[in-house]
Amino acid sequence: MDNIAGTKSSLTWAVHLSVALLVIIWLVPTVGLMVSSFRDRDQITASGWWLSPLPVTQNFAVKAEGDPVERDGLFVLEGNVFGEGSGTVSEFGGRRAAPTEFATGETGTLTRDRTLSVQADGSYTYTSPAEIKRAPSIYFASETPPEFSLGNYEQIFSSAGMDRAFINTLTVTIPATIIPILIAAFAAYALAWMEFPGRGLLIAMVVGLLVVPLQLALVPMLKLHNAMGVGQSFLGIWMAHTGFGLPLAIYLLRNYMVGLPRDIIESAKVDGATDFQVFTKIVLPLSFPALASFAIFQFLWTWNDLLVAKVFLPSNSESWVMTVKIADDLLGSRGGDWGILAAAAFVSIGVPLLVFFTMQRYLVRGLLAGSVK
Amino acid sequence: MKNQIFTAAAALALMSTTALADGHLPFAPGEGAFSWDSYTAFAEANDFAGQTVTITGPWTGNEKEKFDAVVAYFAEATGATVNYSGSDSFEQDIVVSARAGSAPNLAVFPQPGLAADMASQGLLTPLPEGTSDWVAENFAAGQSWVDLGTYADADGTDQMYGMFYRVDLKSLVWYSPEAFDEAGFDIPTTMEELKALTQQIADGGETPWCIGLGSGAATGWPATDWVEDMMLRTNSPADYDAWVANEMKFDDPKVVAAIEEFGFFARNDAFVDGGASAVANTDFRDSPTGLFEIPPKCYMHRQASFIPAFFPEGTTVGEDVDFFYFPAYAEKDLGAPVLGAGTLFSITNPSDATTAFLEFLKLPIAHEAWMAQGGFLTAHAGVNLETYSEDSLRAQGKILQDATTFRFDASDLMPAEIGAGAFWTGMVDYATGASAQDVAKGIQDRWDALN
Amino acid sequence: MSPIVQGLLTIVIGVGGCVGYFYASNLILDKVIFPIQAKNPGRNINRANMVRPWLFLFPAMFALSLYLLYPVVGSFWRSLFNRAGDEFIGLGNYASLAADSTFQTAFLNNLLWMLVVPAASTFLGLLVAQLTDRIRWGNIAKSLIFMPMAISFVGASLIWKFVYANNPDIGLINAIRFAFGATETLDVLQLRFWNNFFLMAILIWIQTGFAMVILSAALRGIPEETIEAAIIDGANPFEIFFKIKVPQIMGTIVVVWTTITILVLKVFDIVYTMTGGNFGTEILPSYMMSYMFRDDGRATAVAFVIMLIVLPVMIWNIRQARQEMK
Repeated sequence: MDNIAGTKSSLTWAVHLSVALLVIIWLVPTVGLMVSSFRDRDQITASGWWLSPLPVTQNFAVKAEGDPVERDGLFVLEGNVFGEGSGTVSEFGGRRAAPTEFATGETGTLTRDRTLSVQADGSYTYTSPAEIKRAPSIYFASETPPEFSLGNYEQIFSSAGMDRAFINTLTVTIPATIIPILIAAFAAYALAWMEFPGRGLLIAMVVGLLVVPLQLALVPMLKLHNAMGVGQSFLGIWMAHTGFGLPLAIYLLRNYMVGLPRDIIESAKVDGATDFQVFTKIVLPLSFPALASFAIFQFLWTWNDLLVAKVFLPSNSESWVMTVKIADDLLGSRGGDWGILAAAAFVSIGVPLLVFFTMQRYLVRGLLAGSVK
Repeated sequence: MKNQIFTAAAALALMSTTALADGHLPFAPGEGAFSWDSYTAFAEANDFAGQTVTITGPWTGNEKEKFDAVVAYFAEATGATVNYSGSDSFEQDIVVSARAGSAPNLAVFPQPGLAADMASQGLLTPLPEGTSDWVAENFAAGQSWVDLGTYADADGTDQMYGMFYRVDLKSLVWYSPEAFDEAGFDIPTTMEELKALTQQIADGGETPWCIGLGSGAATGWPATDWVEDMMLRTNSPADYDAWVANEMKFDDPKVVAAIEEFGFFARNDAFVDGGASAVANTDFRDSPTGLFEIPPKCYMHRQASFIPAFFPEGTTVGEDVDFFYFPAYAEKDLGAPVLGAGTLFSITNPSDATTAFLEFLKLPIAHEAWMAQGGFLTAHAGVNLETYSEDSLRAQGKILQDATTFRFDASDLMPAEIGAGAFWTGMVDYATGASAQDVAKGIQDRWDALN
Repeated sequence: MSPIVQGLLTIVIGVGGCVGYFYASNLILDKVIFPIQAKNPGRNINRANMVRPWLFLFPAMFALSLYLLYPVVGSFWRSLFNRAGDEFIGLGNYASLAADSTFQTAFLNNLLWMLVVPAASTFLGLLVAQLTDRIRWGNIAKSLIFMPMAISFVGASLIWKFVYANNPDIGLINAIRFAFGATETLDVLQLRFWNNFFLMAILIWIQTGFAMVILSAALRGIPEETIEAAIIDGANPFEIFFKIKVPQIMGTIVVVWTTITILVLKVFDIVYTMTGGNFGTEILPSYMMSYMFRDDGRATAVAFVIMLIVLPVMIWNIRQARQEMK
């Protein structure tokens, strides 16, 4: 018995450990993005985000400005690399190629018999046997404390135009979420509770359309929009998202409505209620969980969409949604500015994550209604 | 006087949030060496208050800010609102929106090839009459710019569609004078010396070059510039022209050899920062920052005259960084060839204010306002050269003048599917290990499939 | 008009329009066309009830036919024409696709995606579902693994750039390699062939949560008795899982598998933002994007190829649905 209990507890430990491991793997990339979004650009390139709570050693260059004085036949420049500020120098050098050649306190010999010494507090002495014509550069390494700030967020909202993209995304998302629900709810009711010839065929069609790849619609639909005078516009993208969202909406809602108790609906009909009344007074309120779950789906889908936005919205920065803004503008013009990229990405995933964590219950229910009978 | 202008600008900024939000007037009208007279006359003659001119183009980030500042002068003069948006996938977006009828008023094409494509599909409107004469008279080497902007329309009639604004000089190598000085390197004046210096730096345990081909949907184009420069340094200008026209096939041994010349630099792990594998995936805008790191990640960066826009903030060209002419082989006797390119404005959706904007582009001030911000060369002969922000730009002007051969960027002249497609992706393949022969053959196949 | 105002207006008009349409059309049907108070109330009610479903269905069916049914036909028709759309070339576009090496790469990559992503997501989802079933903090773990579902493909790509970056101070993979003594960075997105798997990892990361949620519900639906019986028979946990549980939820596994397969064929964002289709990572949706509106004939041909790949899944789905209805 002991033996079995032993393997059992070690198995439980293995389960706990492997779940913890999986969760960490799943979480780490997102955490990295979040941490980076609060870091300063130079710190991001100087050390990994996993080291962000530690101070960072960075190399700097300063010009030794000022008037050289002549002393013992040498021209001497003195000053402090931190200027008015303060800091601690760990190493220094006289060449860009070797910025940390010497330890502080040493006197380093440079080309043409020049010397340079830098103390830990930053004060330096530069000597040259010949006259100093051009201010020489002093290179040094110094630790900077970890810095976290909202600077990246301020920048993307003030100058990078992310605010506009955020509003555009909202503008696309909300109508594109609400309108298909209404249309689909009526159709779903008809397919679930009304008897008419061809019902089975229609349901099969909806199921079939669930699978049609979106790409197929892009070219002909944009042409049609052009012909109708809608062109690339917000109206166009609302219509497109409505069309593309309908099969899933009808399918989900129908599956849910079919499962509603038959006797409630039939007794209402016996009492003389019309289909319209049954639908608005009984079925719609009862289907709230399914409506909510589709709304979350459609919201996430439209918020996160890049393809439809690229095709059905005008390509000027006035109407960029966040995904397009990131993919077509920020990734290029700020390719090396990891802090800005991280902040932009975090803004774009912030709202969906919020929706996700507050409404997860409905999302799960909707998923189940769609796939498991 | 100055105060009044600023209040006017502020009032305008309030009225038209978008154009002026980022772009104020960086140089007060009436001051400095700028050509204000023609600007004042233009301002008096044109009033488009309440109208909007929309422009899309390839300039994003720092370059967009500079262009926004130029545009602010037009807005100030006419009262119109100008809305410029730059996109990394401009080449795709402009075609889609032109088809959709939601094209902006003006499009800034980085490639004549793409503009010619669109003109032939009837998606562009010819420039106002007389533009071609004006360009021929007022641009240095005017007729060649007219030719580069003239394409066949949907019926096959030649019309002028493109007005060049901003010329880029491609045959430049950027370096840090300080780093060269400290390391004791001399500026190479021949290709042989350049290759020797490359080897010398690598032998010293350091990395000579920073090369980056990344550019979003346009990834690969910086390599096409390398190959074109190499074509001009290993073959005659006539061969180059034949190549552009596909009279010389893309997989001709001469072209393959030019690609391999690029490979000498880019496919040697010791020669490029990050090793050869980093070349294809490093963004071209990030790539030059290696020059400025301490210690430097590389010593040289071959890129066009616009690249200072992407240097770290506070970098002064001429002090922190400088350039030299990408030299030619001493032994080949092909003179000093220079590769250049330019962006051109085309009308995608005509309006009165749009025509006025094209008139504005004829004014010296439209060029000077960017020249003074740096990173801008122009073929406009009427501008005041004093307004160039740096001596270095004047020096680039000199390289242009000294050129024995000037050729326009070949990829920009080839059909868009090649020059803005197969050539780009082919070079990415080459940079990541495919053989030059295969890549060239693949591009030629695509070209054959076009006809 | 600012887009926000336009948006609000659309919501009002859209919602009002929909409600108005349904209400008014019902009213007209009941009061005007087939009034109950007329001579034959019974016949009229029956007739009205024959028409009513179509009133309910009309807007949805109209939108569906317009946005999904017509494009299937329209795209196929367009794919038979040349680049400019003015010359009928039959299957010419398909022939030139088949001859294009980039298309071949994209096609093969797509098959790889269709094999690997659904398999890996389903497997990992099943694993997590089973492991978290009995532990106390299982729900929190599930919630965290489910989270990427909410993230856009573009956002996810950016997140993973911080893992794949060719720089040991930014990219996690290179940092780990350096911690184990590597001295050269490795750009995993350029490793031919293998880079596809690094891109797929992003989609697997997103889709595992989806598979987990559904499979976890299915696992809970298994009757306790069957498991108890197995325990009494002395089966070990692995046997219980593979021999008792998995067969019982096979139906659900297939549903999850096909759902992810369909999704794989729609995703172009990841490749678009991570590699732009370079380094041999092109897949059909991103390949199509590079032709769209430049050569619509070719682009629609690619779209139709995607459609053909999904067709078996579609037929299977429809047959399933019909069986359930019976």
